[in-house]
Amino acid sequence: MDSKQQYLRDCVERLATRREVVQVLGTGLIVIVVEPLHSWQEEDDVISAKRPVLRIEVAPDGWVVLRTGKVELGQGSRTLLTQCVAEEMGIAPAKVRLVMGDTDTCPDDGGTWASMTTPETVPAVRKAAAEAAGSTLHEPSAWKVLGQSVPAIDGRDIVTGRKKYASDWMPAGLLAAKMIRPPFYKATLESVSAPDGVRVVKDGDLLAVVANTPREAEVQATKIIAMWKPSQLTPPNFKRDSEMPVFVEGARYPAIVKRGDLATGDALAVKRLKSEYAVANIAHVPLEPRASVARWQGKKLTVESGSQAPFLVRNELKQHFGLTERQVRVRAIDPGSGYGGKQRGECELEAARIAKLAGADVRLAWSREEEFERAYFRPAGVIEVASGIDASGKIVSWDFHNFNSGASSLTPPYAIPHLYCGFHKSKSPLREGSYRSLAAVANNFARESHVDELAALAGIDPLEFRLKNLSDARLKEALERGAAKFGWKQSKGGMACNLEKDARLALFVELDVVKTQVKLKRIVCVFDCGAILNPGNLRNQVEGAIVQGMGGALFEKVQHDSERILNAKMSKYRVPRFSDVPPIEMILIDRRDVKPAGAGESPITTIAPAIANGIFASTGKRLRSLPLMG
Amino acid sequence: MAQWSLEINGKTEKVVAEAATALLWVLREDLQLTGAKYGCGEGSCGACTVLVDGKAERSCLLPISSLKGRKIQTIEGLSSAEKLHPVQKAFLDEEAFQCGFCTPGMILASVALLSKTAKPGREAVRQSLNGHVCRCGSYPRILAAVELAARGAK
Repeated sequence: MDSKQQYLRDCVERLATRREVVQVLGTGLIVIVVEPLHSWQEEDDVISAKRPVLRIEVAPDGWVVLRTGKVELGQGSRTLLTQCVAEEMGIAPAKVRLVMGDTDTCPDDGGTWASMTTPETVPAVRKAAAEAAGSTLHEPSAWKVLGQSVPAIDGRDIVTGRKKYASDWMPAGLLAAKMIRPPFYKATLESVSAPDGVRVVKDGDLLAVVANTPREAEVQATKIIAMWKPSQLTPPNFKRDSEMPVFVEGARYPAIVKRGDLATGDALAVKRLKSEYAVANIAHVPLEPRASVARWQGKKLTVESGSQAPFLVRNELKQHFGLTERQVRVRAIDPGSGYGGKQRGECELEAARIAKLAGADVRLAWSREEEFERAYFRPAGVIEVASGIDASGKIVSWDFHNFNSGASSLTPPYAIPHLYCGFHKSKSPLREGSYRSLAAVANNFARESHVDELAALAGIDPLEFRLKNLSDARLKEALERGAAKFGWKQSKGGMACNLEKDARLALFVELDVVKTQVKLKRIVCVFDCGAILNPGNLRNQVEGAIVQGMGGALFEKVQHDSERILNAKMSKYRVPRFSDVPPIEMILIDRRDVKPAGAGESPITTIAPAIANGIFASTGKRLRSLPLMG
Repeated sequence: MAQWSLEINGKTEKVVAEAATALLWVLREDLQLTGAKYGCGEGSCGACTVLVDGKAERSCLLPISSLKGRKIQTIEGLSSAEKLHPVQKAFLDEEAFQCGFCTPGMILASVALLSKTAKPGREAVRQSLNGHVCRCGSYPRILAAVELAARGAK
């Protein structure tokens, strides 16, 4: 046992007088046996700052507690990680309890983003569970719990209304806070006046009221007279204001992808094509506007919220207040989803600042309008593609430039000998950030639209053209199986494919265009993400991603003038509804021998280009800007 | 501020609130009935849906003064003890949710629909629920769940 392990063991023994340490794993993750299950938090205050973090606790009565920094957003991580423990320890899923997203008691598994739970956290949890059971990892071919459609662990609480989301967390004894916002997107506070009896909190541009109840806070907020000076929202010019791409070694989404030599590729081309595509800013619109509870005990800050990334938010809070890691605890409560929109601590920081200034425990709940305006949007962008094909219809050169929207999914799945793909950072008037699959929607929209244009230029059927230019056998299989189910030869429609985050996707859509309205009639989707861990949940995720993608494809767009966001309301910002959704037929390809890829994001990337290609097939008109009906 | 007497889930509840206060806030903040969700505050998303005399209503738009003598039912009052309502059971069987934030509203709207029309066709269900947003996009499964519940209905 090395000195680090000895140290961890000492720590555990010191705090766990009645517990027996059975395993000490590397990197500070410890499996221990405890007697009755109880809250760690009660003891937390007397433990030294270097308390080890527990991954798994096993109680003598057979209950197992798994701790993970990941959060359940509706993507099924609670059920999936429960399956991992049940599988490797040979116990029923009902015997597993998860503690998720608590920075004081859970291992930092990274934010709940980028479809990383399956590739990163699943192996870590399976390994810990196998070690706790004293066994080796179960072979996929012998899985009994993994690979099955285990129903959502919290399903019964959901249908009975018992499930508590972040905004349902209203412990007694808190003051309610309400932010006073400018009527502009960006503004500086010039003056403020409030009648007596209104409890105002002010710190720079942070202006809020606190009251005993949320309704009282709402009323008090209307009594504040604040004068704001707006900043202008200048329309973006993404290309003019762009920087050259910078290659960073080891980046998850490299800003430059190069192969061969573009001049050589261009010399091989007999036909050339240059097109420009655009995507608009869109909003995440999680159905639950966010809420945070903040409490200070001396220098210790505790914040509870529906964060997707509690450890990242902890660091934001730590930095803002000049605290140590141990002085800040962020505890995530399942949110009414996030889709990449709840990764930063805007609401959490406001709540913590107000609580500090008010000298009281505070709950801050955002309105729908605040949820639209005060977080961040999916980046807008412009994408330029210049390409060439040889006489046989092979793509020989590919020069692809994304301005502002992002670097994920820059790499084409096609076997193109000479290519350059670059992401150019630029400037935007709106605050932009992460979104489900990041820029993969934008990049795959441009790529798959352009490939369709090339097929037309070559005079080759779009399916045949793609198969001719692909080398990845799994992606080709996905396309072929989808085409067969769709009846590609008989049905007129649009298609798109992608190889994203290690998953293979093909999507086919049949549609009608009446004037400017697009009506989707039928979708066939093929998805191959390697070994399927929970087919029922996977189907739900893939279907949901396609539906969500319809919004950005067809009509979602954040509108603004020189000072304000113009459609920050559910009644003005159209999201997909029942009437927009056609029947979706799905083929899931299960490859037990292939390491599973995450699947929460990639299936959102094919619907927009498939629709654009379907519109072209049906009308001859090529639309190159999202939203297509905007 | 006045005291109001409301009949919620078969019980009489007394609350103190301004006449214009929306039922949603009274349910959530005064009575801890948090199954009704705030999603938009303008009746555009359906997350706050409750039944009033058996009809689906948006509780974010219902002033408390309009509810005298009316029977209010929330998701918490739909099932008794461990026995799920058939519509809840169908949503569970079809796993017609992801994050589940829209689910109480979807279920109550479906209960209201099925009490009026025992066997609605798919198009009628779609139209009836079109004012409800599921941002996770579980619409196909919700349609299937309502159909399953309708098949189960005598």
